[in-house]
Amino acid sequence: MQATAIGTVTVTIVLLGAFLYARAVLVHFGAGVLNQIEISAFLQDGTSPARTEAMRAALAHDPRVLSVQYVPKKEGLQELRRRLKGEIDTSILTENPLPNMFRVRVRTPELVPAVAAEIRKMPGVQYVNYGQDVVGKLLQLVAVARRVGIAVITLFILVAGIIISNTIRLTVFARRREIAIMQLVGATNAYIRMPFICEGLLDGLLGASLAVAALEVGRASLVPRLVAALPFVAANVVNVNLGTLVPQLLLVGAAVGLIASWISVGRFLRT
Amino acid sequence: MISLRGVSLVYPNGVRALDGIDLEIGKGDFVFLVGHSGTGKSTLLRLLYREMAPTTGEITVDGIRVECLRRSRVPILRRHIGVVFQDFKLLTDKTVWENVAFALQVTGAHTRDVIRQVPRVLDLVGLSHKSRMYPGELSGGEQQRAAIARALVNNPKILLCDEPTGNLDPSNTTEIMELLLRINLKGTTIMVATHNQAVVDRMRRRVVRLDNGRIVTDEERGYYFLGLGQSQILSG
Repeated sequence: MQATAIGTVTVTIVLLGAFLYARAVLVHFGAGVLNQIEISAFLQDGTSPARTEAMRAALAHDPRVLSVQYVPKKEGLQELRRRLKGEIDTSILTENPLPNMFRVRVRTPELVPAVAAEIRKMPGVQYVNYGQDVVGKLLQLVAVARRVGIAVITLFILVAGIIISNTIRLTVFARRREIAIMQLVGATNAYIRMPFICEGLLDGLLGASLAVAALEVGRASLVPRLVAALPFVAANVVNVNLGTLVPQLLLVGAAVGLIASWISVGRFLRT
Repeated sequence: MISLRGVSLVYPNGVRALDGIDLEIGKGDFVFLVGHSGTGKSTLLRLLYREMAPTTGEITVDGIRVECLRRSRVPILRRHIGVVFQDFKLLTDKTVWENVAFALQVTGAHTRDVIRQVPRVLDLVGLSHKSRMYPGELSGGEQQRAAIARALVNNPKILLCDEPTGNLDPSNTTEIMELLLRINLKGTTIMVATHNQAVVDRMRRRVVRLDNGRIVTDEERGYYFLGLGQSQILSG
């Protein structure tokens, strides 16, 4: 029965750890992508240099804006040529089809839509692009993953708590004669409770330790293969910081054991 | 030492276990509690060590108002009271020594005190030579003496005995009663709920008779059956 309790905690913490790890990777990865987002504001042909300069100054003074870069149409074409080199023969272009543009980077990804909307309203701006679809979907995905994950983990922690609590209750039941005598000769409830609380705490910690070990083994053997299969995740996975995750997981295990045993012994002592 | 005023206990199903009990027991008294089965003797004892709480009435034990005692204070009360049962309630996987020491240890006593107190009470009940044995290896009388030693190790001022000789043969019964008498002579207040007519009639102590949850008689030097004693004296 104790093995069941420890096992359940282990499974729960493995899931929790895997989820937190995956989330950290996703957030890291997402942040990487999102941080690279820039707003391209294309200007109408014939916008006066004074007007252009006024816009640049306004954007540069906006506290949300990280950097503003003016890209005249000539430079834009050169850039395009460089990027498409070898893929499309750009020499067929007889005139420059590109407008003048601003490249704007903002401080956080969440600010992108708002800033973009304001730029669009500026006179002289013809069109604004920041990969609306990609950004929106990415933000949505992160939010959904977070919510589903939290629900699943809550459920598992609850199940682990119930199983530990039942295990402790069985131990309490097996020792009820001893407990009755302890109460009779004047032991305080705290004194009687102590060993059971310790047992619950230990079960939780042991389960969490096993889980941390399993996670480490899993990460060491799975992640390199994953990186090999999906080259684009490599840098992000390696960079995720796991320093705080291990103590957090151990803490969750210990807390589940402590609370569950506290409740189950408490119920017994009241009767 | 023990005082009950207007104590009643009514179960949720309406049954009156105790009804208007008034009882005063002085320091160093030895009192028998007699009456039919189910008449409330054990219940009365349980109220004293706060295993149960009365529906109405006041209970004072060694200056502690028992009925309004907070749950966290109950252990303090119980350290003033030793309790002995018919079925001994010893832990079978512990030796006699360990059973007695257990009662001290769970109250957070110092090892020093345990080493001093346990031999003292084992000597008092005459079990020093069997302190390393397990309850299963002892006779009923010896087990009860171990239980009494455990009840006394905290130096309680009061010893409550619920049918202490119920499982014992006459010779063991005599031994246990003599032991209780010795303990009483050292100043411990003792209450014994019993069915054992021979014990009560031989010892001639205060007898409180319960019937249907009420005290019907309270005699200073009583017999088990009301009136029988007198007739025996007359015929003898």
